[in-house]
Amino acid sequence: MRALVRNRVVRRVAGTVGTLFGVAVFVFVMLRAIPGNQITANLGTEAAALTPAQQQALERYYGLDQPLVTQFFSWLGNMFTGNFGYSARAQQSVLDLTLQSLPVTFELAVFSIVLALLIGVPLGMLAASRTNSVRDAAGQVVSLAGLSIPAFLLATTLLTVFAASFGFNPNGQGFVPFFADPLLNLQQMLLPSLVLGFGIAAPILRTTRTAVLEVRSNDFVRTARAKGVPERRLQVRHVLGNALVPIVTMTGLQFGYLLGGAVVVEQIFSVPGIGRQVLLGIQQKEYAVVQSTVLVIALAFVIVNLLTDVLYRIIDPRVRAS
Amino acid sequence: MPRGALSAVGIAAALSLALTSCSSSSGSAPSAAGSAQGGGTLVVGVTSDPDTLFPWKATQFTTVNVLQNLYGTLTEFDKDLNVVPGLAESWQASEDGKTLTFKLRQGVTFADGSAFDSADVKASLEKIKDEKTAAVAAASLSSVESVEAPDPNTVVLELSGPDSALPANLATVNMAMLSSDDTEEELNAKPNGTGPFTLGKRVANQSLTLTRNDKYWNEKAKVASVEFRVIPDESSIVSAMQSGNVQLAVFNDPLVAQTAQGGTVNVAKTPQLNYHVLQLNAQRGDLKDVNVRLAIQCAIDRKQVLDTAALGEGEVVGPITAPAYKSDPNKRPCPTRDLAKAADYLAKAGKSGGVTVKTIVSQGEYATSVNEAQNLKAQLAEAKINLDLEVLESGAFVDRWVAADFDAAVALNGGRPEPDGSYARYFTSDGNLNKVAGYSSPKLDELFAEGKATTDQAARKAIYDQVAAELENNAPWIWLFSGYTYTATAANVQGFVPMASGSLQYLRTTSVG
Amino acid sequence: MTALLRRSPAGLAGVVILVVLAMVALLSFLGLLPYDPIAQNPPSRFLAPSGEHLFGTDQFGRDVFSRVAAGVGNSALIAVVAVAFSTLVGTLGGLVSGFYRGFADGAIGGVTNVLFAFPPLLLALSLASVLERNWFTVAVAIAIVYVPIFIRVTRGPVLSLREIEYVKAAVSTGQSRWQIMFRHVLPNITSIIVIQVALSLSWAVLTEASLSFLGLGTPPPAPSLGSMIFEARSLVFIAPWTLIAPGAVVVALVVGLNLLGDGLRDTLDPRNRGKR
Repeated sequence: MRALVRNRVVRRVAGTVGTLFGVAVFVFVMLRAIPGNQITANLGTEAAALTPAQQQALERYYGLDQPLVTQFFSWLGNMFTGNFGYSARAQQSVLDLTLQSLPVTFELAVFSIVLALLIGVPLGMLAASRTNSVRDAAGQVVSLAGLSIPAFLLATTLLTVFAASFGFNPNGQGFVPFFADPLLNLQQMLLPSLVLGFGIAAPILRTTRTAVLEVRSNDFVRTARAKGVPERRLQVRHVLGNALVPIVTMTGLQFGYLLGGAVVVEQIFSVPGIGRQVLLGIQQKEYAVVQSTVLVIALAFVIVNLLTDVLYRIIDPRVRAS
Repeated sequence: MPRGALSAVGIAAALSLALTSCSSSSGSAPSAAGSAQGGGTLVVGVTSDPDTLFPWKATQFTTVNVLQNLYGTLTEFDKDLNVVPGLAESWQASEDGKTLTFKLRQGVTFADGSAFDSADVKASLEKIKDEKTAAVAAASLSSVESVEAPDPNTVVLELSGPDSALPANLATVNMAMLSSDDTEEELNAKPNGTGPFTLGKRVANQSLTLTRNDKYWNEKAKVASVEFRVIPDESSIVSAMQSGNVQLAVFNDPLVAQTAQGGTVNVAKTPQLNYHVLQLNAQRGDLKDVNVRLAIQCAIDRKQVLDTAALGEGEVVGPITAPAYKSDPNKRPCPTRDLAKAADYLAKAGKSGGVTVKTIVSQGEYATSVNEAQNLKAQLAEAKINLDLEVLESGAFVDRWVAADFDAAVALNGGRPEPDGSYARYFTSDGNLNKVAGYSSPKLDELFAEGKATTDQAARKAIYDQVAAELENNAPWIWLFSGYTYTATAANVQGFVPMASGSLQYLRTTSVG
Repeated sequence: MTALLRRSPAGLAGVVILVVLAMVALLSFLGLLPYDPIAQNPPSRFLAPSGEHLFGTDQFGRDVFSRVAAGVGNSALIAVVAVAFSTLVGTLGGLVSGFYRGFADGAIGGVTNVLFAFPPLLLALSLASVLERNWFTVAVAIAIVYVPIFIRVTRGPVLSLREIEYVKAAVSTGQSRWQIMFRHVLPNITSIIVIQVALSLSWAVLTEASLSFLGLGTPPPAPSLGSMIFEARSLVFIAPWTLIAPGAVVVALVVGLNLLGDGLRDTLDPRNRGKR
């Protein structure tokens, strides 16, 4: 039994490493397939004026003179030693850049998820409490709106209207990390996480509704009710408790997605998150920045999935029981 | 004048996107730095932060403008783009024009406190010229054979021939004077210049703050510090101005400028040196025939391009946009659209049946590119000239442009205050961009050489008028129009002087009330 | 289809919305729009909505209704092509992966994991920058992002079907694996795929719009709903209709697709059958 478990763990770890290696190869190749390099990204058309000697000097400077295979393995090898590469543009190591931007995106993702849960779970339960009723319809409308209004449309409208009409634009003050000024930081997170949270509330609402409906039709609920368990306790303890599994899975999925998927919102609200770091890297052709950051995002995604699995095992009554 | 951003135009990634820059902030700023008597902080909204802090490689708009405030140059431009003394108090050319002697300003120090002298000038110029440095302005020093520093306050340049364009060419931040002790790596980490500001705090991808240099040799800056705040989306900068968080920004999209206008925000427009152009490649196919090129030029109503693509914001121009040498846009084969003449030219070329021109257009570099291309296509179609448009993402556009792999290119090119600097690189047979320009002639070579050898302003103007005429009559490119730069300022910002070059050098005279 | 309309009011609403939008898009494909969506006409800049210009005009004097109609056409075309591609490739991948197991499963699973670990918008964005830009390559970029979803969605059911008696029976009768896959397995997973297609279409529309918003979608001058919103984002106060019209239409399109997807799920999904 123990060997079996160990075997599973080993395979899972091996699979994860393989996936990350695949991501590394993929991002490496894709970046080089994009027209242009760091020289032309920096100099623009002025690159046409470079003499061959200047061109060579720049290629050496940016490490573009190395064979691709060498570039790949020296980058990957360095990653293992904690050297994620260096951004000449930012004058900082990619590790430092990531240590600044990852927590920002993480914070944004957490707030968005919390908001989404606060909207999605109660509305989902409400909708499930009486199917095909007015409240169910209301839930459907909210979730449809969340699914259908593009984040960039909502973001851009909120920003413009709040700034121009109410002079409320905390994001215009320059980003402040949470520990530097919690109050301002929270204000800056407000609109972006509302936009993202609203979008994510939809799948969570739907999952909650479906799960609750499914759980309620189960025998043990009927049994509990017959035993005289109070309705509120029944709803929270038995129904929600058992509906939690799919909700957690969906939440984990959405959280993982947010780590790289918040680019547009980060861009509009000037939130210096990790998505923007990648976007900027692609625009400036800073290969090391994009490669390492994408790998970090992939790793975070994998870890979130793992944690979701673990959590799932902890809360799933069936798994627990066995 | 930044080379890349202004001269290369259309291309430097981020150019148009990055054009938004600058703003000043008011009282909210703590006058940290403990420097002098307050002055507050000016917050400038920009779409990206500098891609390098090394002035010799700076080409992007924000980069050039940040570094220009940190570093000094031997010569400078005043607000009307005349060359005026900078770190050099005066300069004198020898009788034969082959020796140029600079007298340096005394008592100038770098940010680290060390003194600026002729050894720094010698080292800087020699390193810029060295190809291994890969300085973007190296070619501007091609006439310089040696640099001598006979005493700490004198620098003597020996030239291969007279070069009257040199003083103006020395005024760009790509010719910044660095301390002879500093290396590129050190300066990238910690800039050390002689400019009106020094680098304060930098948070990568978020903000960069300049602090007033109280030892600046000229009139000291009025504000204690300037923060370049990165707000990646241009319309978010507008929002930040409306909510009072950003006090100054530069836009080049007329529409964005229009949305910023109103309330407490003022928008001033300044004609640009940059020009919109349809670059033809006279080395390729049907375009080798001058008659085909002239047919194209006659078939275009430039005013219509300007009105449709750029909301009429700008003016129709000839090749040279620098105020002192400005070309008369009416002196060209077809000052107004003339389809009959266009047909004649095509007939002369034996192409009455029409021609097809593969044209590259960049998307996202500057706001008007695709709209211009579309209007040109529509107009030329009426003259049986088919513009086959290929819309490219900026990286792909630059690659193709650099390789001169196009029949025609719709571009926004950077003009410079000095016509030799603007065009010799393109249209002389040994110019470093001649391959891309695709055209040169003995006549042009001669005229450019003459222009360099002449110092008298009126005589030079006459020579560059001839250059312009030669260019228009042979139509290697079709010059269209010049737009405006829009400087948006909050009501409490005073004293900023926008320049045709787009430069933010007058941040030092700006105050926040 | 009729079952869908009878059993699911949501599905019906979705179909109605989509039919209306499809008719509008059809106008553009047939060249029946009131104005050329591309030609600029500076004198009629920023006209408010009126009988002449239903949705007003934009900063270049172009008719917003015509542009929105053409934009719906473009968005729909891209979404349909992208989803068709990912459905084909993804379903095939899922079938092979679930049915053959072994090496094929490992290889396909590996690729799927890699693509999943990539943030989807960043993936589409990078792909869109690699490929030469036209509507087709944008569709391909989006398609690649959605391939792994279809693989996952099909593989699971295929795995369980494989163990079902009649499939085993088919194997024992000596039919080839491909025959079994297409004759016995595929028909049993169509409902799952159909539901996924409807949902993916709505995501594809949103992804295309987001890409256009970042400047990497349908290249101009062809109108796209995303790029129209991008261009109009700062015009809220000058000419609100330039933002509202494409915004409302994007939302309507996605709502329509989602409702259709919901309707299909209610009707087709075996798990939902008989629940209502």
